[in-house]
Amino acid sequence: MSRIMDAELRNLSTIIYKMGDLAYQAVSMAIYESLYGRDSYDRIKEISDTLILLADQVEDKIFEIIIRFQPVASDLRIVKSYMKISYDITRLGRYALDISYINKRFGGLGGSEEWIRTYIADMSEKALSMVKMVMEILRSQKIEVIKSVSEMEEEIDKLYINFLNKIIDETNIKSRVVVSSVLVIRYFERIADHVAYMCESIIYMLTGRKEFLR
Amino acid sequence: MSTYKIEVEKLNAWFGSKQVLKNIDMKVKDRAVTAIMGPSGCGKTTFIRCLNRMHELTPGARVSGRVLLDGINIYDDGIDPVQIRRKVGMIFQKPNPFPMLSIYDNVALGPKLNGVKDRKTLDLIVRRSLELAGLWDEVKNDLDKSGVSLSGGQQQRLCIARALAVEPEVLLMDEPTSALDPMSAAKIEALIRKLAENYTVIIVTHNIQQAARVSDYVAFFYLGELIEYGPTKDVFEKPRSELTERYITGKFG
Amino acid sequence: MSGSSYYRLRRIKDVIVRFMVYLALLIALIPLFSVIFEVARRGIIAINLDFFVKPTPTVGEVGGGIANAIQGTFITIGLTCLIGVPIGVISGIFLSEYSESRFSTIIRFFNEVLNGIPSIVIGIFSYALIVLAVGFSVIAASFALSIIMIPIVTRTTEEALKLVPATIREAAIALGMPRWKTVVYIVLRSAKKTVATGILLAIARITGESAPILVTMGYWRWWFAGLNRPVANLALNIFLFANSPFENWVVLAWGSALILIMMVLGINIVVRILMRERY
Repeated sequence: MSRIMDAELRNLSTIIYKMGDLAYQAVSMAIYESLYGRDSYDRIKEISDTLILLADQVEDKIFEIIIRFQPVASDLRIVKSYMKISYDITRLGRYALDISYINKRFGGLGGSEEWIRTYIADMSEKALSMVKMVMEILRSQKIEVIKSVSEMEEEIDKLYINFLNKIIDETNIKSRVVVSSVLVIRYFERIADHVAYMCESIIYMLTGRKEFLR
Repeated sequence: MSTYKIEVEKLNAWFGSKQVLKNIDMKVKDRAVTAIMGPSGCGKTTFIRCLNRMHELTPGARVSGRVLLDGINIYDDGIDPVQIRRKVGMIFQKPNPFPMLSIYDNVALGPKLNGVKDRKTLDLIVRRSLELAGLWDEVKNDLDKSGVSLSGGQQQRLCIARALAVEPEVLLMDEPTSALDPMSAAKIEALIRKLAENYTVIIVTHNIQQAARVSDYVAFFYLGELIEYGPTKDVFEKPRSELTERYITGKFG
Repeated sequence: MSGSSYYRLRRIKDVIVRFMVYLALLIALIPLFSVIFEVARRGIIAINLDFFVKPTPTVGEVGGGIANAIQGTFITIGLTCLIGVPIGVISGIFLSEYSESRFSTIIRFFNEVLNGIPSIVIGIFSYALIVLAVGFSVIAASFALSIIMIPIVTRTTEEALKLVPATIREAAIALGMPRWKTVVYIVLRSAKKTVATGILLAIARITGESAPILVTMGYWRWWFAGLNRPVANLALNIFLFANSPFENWVVLAWGSALILIMMVLGINIVVRILMRERY
């Protein structure tokens, strides 16, 4: 027997999946910009704004579910987690926009040093695949995949620290490149963090365990 | 001295040849509200009726196992069930004040039959019990009126006052608000929380939200078995049993 | 068939059935009212002060009354109640509250049998048991009447107590009341009006009994003279006076009948009031 709440929860999932797709688009566009310099700021801005709008919708729907159904147990964990996840996804969009802004303002990193571009390519690729993976985990509920996501997050953290250590000693790089590369890399690191938060929410949602992956 | 008021060990109960409780082990915390929930026919009412030896009054009913009240097995030979029932009061689903008695006499009857004769003492007991039940201000000028002249919610609080008048230590409540309107039910729920400061309260309810609102611990019974028992927050956030999960989220049947 | 004619037919049927019901009711009430009317018409002439204060006249005496019969009837009923009510009520309590006992099925069965025995048989039984030992007497009559009374009181008490909701009993038991206190203080008290109703109906029934009186007490035209002696009795008065050749005795018979009907009617009215007040 299906419950009235089930339809509402399905609606909620649909919105969350859509948000995930949009965030993935935004992040991949931001990466493309960083590495190849195409300007898609306006499009990313549009996506980021849509994500904020959708997150508001999610919050509203969740309140309606609470009012109507007083969810408990797995239902309660789903709505709590969805609330957090929708916020995390807006952050992904927002960081994509921040990256895009840096590219727009400083003209991208297409012409920067090879090793810097390697770092950015490496990190951004990892971050993007983390975004893809976390949304797949959310859909499939295959919780065992989370381990590899959190490993990638650790790698990104390491890359981030290494990058900072390395660039601090470089004296003959243009400050424009230093500033924009540090910021962009920082944003990818933040994106990875939020994906990790999403994984924590998924674990809580599916098992009730409160784990810290960071 | 343990902090458990009641310890149930391997409790089985039957109606004729039908077993309605199967090997229940459960320890009930002192001065707390423990809610018993479960679908109809899961044995939750039978369970609390075993705690004040009311179950055995039904023809053909049988009990085995131990129920320790303050460490003493209430099913031991030589234990008088009447004495147990004075320590373990009970509130029923439908408010049942004695229809032929006044509000005052409804509350005073218990202590009177237990040998309190002095009018002043009785007045005091009646007043204190009605105050505890949150009914005194509403009825203090109508103590001579019949108990059934009150509203449903007031009748139920009168029944609570009546139970409190014999100075019990444990209060068993069998779906005490299921016959009441939401406002009256809310008053009873608030009263239950207050009573838990001094009494051990066990409440049977099939209103899951009510169990969540009033209880410190919650037990889930299904087909005569204790499926899950734990702190209310834990059970409602992350039940250990799939059955509990399905019951409280309404995915049953 | 058009709608309106269909409904007209239904209305006509309705009127016919209603007419028949009222007619049947009227036919059923005619004997009752003609009895009351006839008794009142003939009895009313007998009624004056003497009728209520003077005992049965001696042969040839003018006037006289039924005061001794009224006194005797009350004494007989009183003694009957003294025997029958406690036994009946206690049996009723037993059947209702201790019905899990196998014994109670047997009691219930014999109670029904007892209720069905013709009153003259009970009278003969009392004659054999008491009259032969003590003689015609109030005791013998009351004994017979109480045997008629007991099954009625038993059954109505049982039914009255069973009407008391189980929740009330449980409330008392849960308060830590012993079973007997629960029965006496709670169950019996809740049902007292219904129990009283049953007792009154039993009294109405025995007030009109004449056959067992005839064989246990016989005729007595004086005042009460002790429980081991007979007393006069209204129902018996009617039987004996109506058959007498004296005209003023026949008038007294009609007067007695009127008083008897008033008493039974009065009891029934009280019962009605009690029933209405219940809950």
